Amino acid sequence: MSSVLQLPWQVPFGIFTLCIDPLNIIFLIAIAVLVICAGVYGIGYMRFYQGKKSLVSHVSFYCIFVLTLLVIVSANNVILFLSAWEVMTISTFFLIIFNDEQESVRKAGFIYLVASHCATFCLFLMFFLMAHTAGSMNFDLIAKTSFPPMIAVTVFLLSLAGFGVKAGFLPLHIWLPHAHPAAPSHISALLSGIAIKMGIYGICRILWILGVLPDWCAYLLLGIGVVSGVMGVLYALGQHELKKLLAYHSVENIGIIALGLGVGLLGRNYHNSLITVLGFGGALLHVVNHAIFKGLLFLGAGSVIQQTHTGQIDRLGGLAKTMPLTSSLFMVGSLSICGLPLFNGFISEFLIYFGLFQGLFMLPLQGAVFCSLGIIALALMGALALACFTKVYGIVFSGEPRFDLKGEDPGMLMIIPMLVLAGLCIWIGLVPQTMVILTFLAGTYMSRISYFAVDLNIVMVPLSMVIGMSFLFLSLILGLVLLRRFMVGRKDMPVREAWRCGFTRCSPKMQYTSSSFACTIVEFVKNLLLVRSHGEEIKGAFPNKISLGTSVHDASDENIFRPLVKAMFVWSKNIDAGRVRYTQMYLMYIFLFLIFLLAWKLT
Amino acid sequence: MITTILIHWLLTLLFAPFFIGVITKVKAVIAGKIGPSLFQSYYDLARLSQKRSVYSSGVTWVFRLAPMIVLAAVLMVSLMIPIGIFKAPVQFAGDILVLVYLFALVRFFMIAGSLDTGFSMEGMGASREAFFSCLTEVTLFMNLLALGLLAHSISLSEMIGANYPVSWNLVGPSMLLIVASLFIVLLAENCRIPIDDPDTHLELTMIHEVMLLEHSGVDLAFMMYASAIKFLIFSSILVPIIIPVKSLDPFINLAIYLGGMTGLAVLVGCVETSMARLRLDRVRHLLLISFALAFFGLIVTWWRA
Repeated sequence: MSSVLQLPWQVPFGIFTLCIDPLNIIFLIAIAVLVICAGVYGIGYMRFYQGKKSLVSHVSFYCIFVLTLLVIVSANNVILFLSAWEVMTISTFFLIIFNDEQESVRKAGFIYLVASHCATFCLFLMFFLMAHTAGSMNFDLIAKTSFPPMIAVTVFLLSLAGFGVKAGFLPLHIWLPHAHPAAPSHISALLSGIAIKMGIYGICRILWILGVLPDWCAYLLLGIGVVSGVMGVLYALGQHELKKLLAYHSVENIGIIALGLGVGLLGRNYHNSLITVLGFGGALLHVVNHAIFKGLLFLGAGSVIQQTHTGQIDRLGGLAKTMPLTSSLFMVGSLSICGLPLFNGFISEFLIYFGLFQGLFMLPLQGAVFCSLGIIALALMGALALACFTKVYGIVFSGEPRFDLKGEDPGMLMIIPMLVLAGLCIWIGLVPQTMVILTFLAGTYMSRISYFAVDLNIVMVPLSMVIGMSFLFLSLILGLVLLRRFMVGRKDMPVREAWRCGFTRCSPKMQYTSSSFACTIVEFVKNLLLVRSHGEEIKGAFPNKISLGTSVHDASDENIFRPLVKAMFVWSKNIDAGRVRYTQMYLMYIFLFLIFLLAWKLT
Repeated sequence: MITTILIHWLLTLLFAPFFIGVITKVKAVIAGKIGPSLFQSYYDLARLSQKRSVYSSGVTWVFRLAPMIVLAAVLMVSLMIPIGIFKAPVQFAGDILVLVYLFALVRFFMIAGSLDTGFSMEGMGASREAFFSCLTEVTLFMNLLALGLLAHSISLSEMIGANYPVSWNLVGPSMLLIVASLFIVLLAENCRIPIDDPDTHLELTMIHEVMLLEHSGVDLAFMMYASAIKFLIFSSILVPIIIPVKSLDPFINLAIYLGGMTGLAVLVGCVETSMARLRLDRVRHLLLISFALAFFGLIVTWWRA
């Protein structure tokens, strides 16, 4: 690590050193792009609150948040890292609870705060275990130590638990679907695009520090990726709220990133530098890509919500006609997140797939079986994400308005950031070389091999073919459009009412809804999701007015964490009931503890 | 390079509608009718392309652009498929990913375009397409995985051109499973009976055809051409695996290929006449069967490879 900035800092064991290396530069790029875009968008978005609410605290917390993000990824010291981490957590909390007059928002913020602090507890343990073993608090010195296997594994597991909460691995993701919808949209974009990536950054840093890990750690990471990815997108399919749906998609994309990291770790364990670079590089490229397209999607969702004042997908519809720019930009984001060719999601998924395929051929049977599992899971995620985003685009922007909710394209201040992000999606999709090489550099850095020692032609040649095909594809589309224009000639193109199989009196409310669109898939996997339907069935020849709805609930929320919290309440109540309420008693406890400390120190 | 690509596209466009005609003819003959000419699909396409398009009110650019994107994507995929003796102009490691994701792009625009009309029946078709394709895409991927393991490559041309007589000898059972599974995938992806019925336009049970309801004229011609090419692509993958015979004479090879393709079309026609369309909730069982076949095919390949 090359240090670039050192400042005096009067904290025990703390050294204020900021460094830039190939790994954190990837995250710095993602932060820079999204923070600027979301900030500009925020100016337009928060105009609505001007005069109604004080924006000073929001803006200052935004600045603090950005500052701490930069410090976190470039810190070279445990104390500095943890301080920045805590400040980030708290500033995020205040950003989330901007609309704090609503109870749900306060609750979401609280869940976030509690989850983050439970995670920080694991991080404290992990960092002090590492620092204790290495005898230093600086990352570059810690990285030079070789850890005993037991400690390495403990550190790895603690980092998965600690950083996993922030990143949103299943089942630790419970704060995401609460916090993302509660926050203002540009903050949701940052939460999803950047804040959860800090968890990924932490895991990357730990993987860099721990040179050697047993095989099962790679399988664990791969497994976490598969489970988070598939379950995340299944939950997303069942959601009816735009931002909640996008929040679950973050879980999916974090799963893809974890899958890539798992592949990289697997390759590193088997000393196969190509697989390592492909896995780590693909995962890191997906970090950047996800920041860009998820930022774009959240900003697009923000425009919709600002205009129509609802995020309920089933209440919206037909917005493409009145919001053409927003809808087209949202389309770009959807195509990117589904990993379709021409857009950036495809490039990072291509790299991860390529690494998995290399693993299939080059690794021994056990590794290869896990690789094929990864391939199948990635294919399934892709297909499900496609179902999910055709649903969102089709229901929200296509068709006719279901209710009288219409909107217009927001002002330039909000459109331009989205345009920039969409442009970046297409840029990485069509000309990915720069970013791919940067991420490969980071990948080699993470596995501590020389960039030039890896035969990257094996992947760069197919990648250039992919790029060539993309341009050919674009020109073919253009050619077909021209051909069509030529074939049509001067014939007039009448616009008539849709044929609709002869139905005449169709009401916009008869359009397919998001629940009905997703119901085929949700029904199919109802054993995995908590699907509840409320309302009554239609009865008799002349039924009364009834309502029927379904909702998908989070199993890890309801079956793991709620009972856990409940049990803890009961437990602490029991302790409280059995406690002796004398001051003298407490003084004696303190006294005994002091004696214990003395005795411990004496030996 | 450009000329080979253009020749390949020309061949694709030339051959593709023929096999659809074969299926229709076989169905008619088995039903005891004379049936339309083998070249009826060409006539249909020619007639449609001379007509003007009628758009339904309220559709956006997604609906208008979808036919072009769909046809372009399918044509791009055809570049990666060897047609008879003509090698695929584009082949590289990992082209199967491009194949699968270009088909995904096709699906995205089919679904988005059909939802654009805002009619519930099209929504139904779109929803089913989205669901069934989740199952078929995974199955297709598993089959490609198994084939890739046999050919030791992830390039489609090498998978198709692999030494399958040896594979049939070595891992016959696995090949059988893969072929069976791929055949079901072919039926599903090309909307044939028993998964979907390409002939009925007014049934509540259909999937693919309902998404084309509002397309007309040139746009419909593009869409129909795209589905014909899609059938050609899937059968071109399947035929060299089923008939792994190669001779030194290119003309015999071409004859084997064309014969195999026609045979496959006849087989599809026979399947279509011999069974009814499955009830919708049964379709997923059939697709799960193909998934299971692919899964076991993969395991057997692992075990022997």
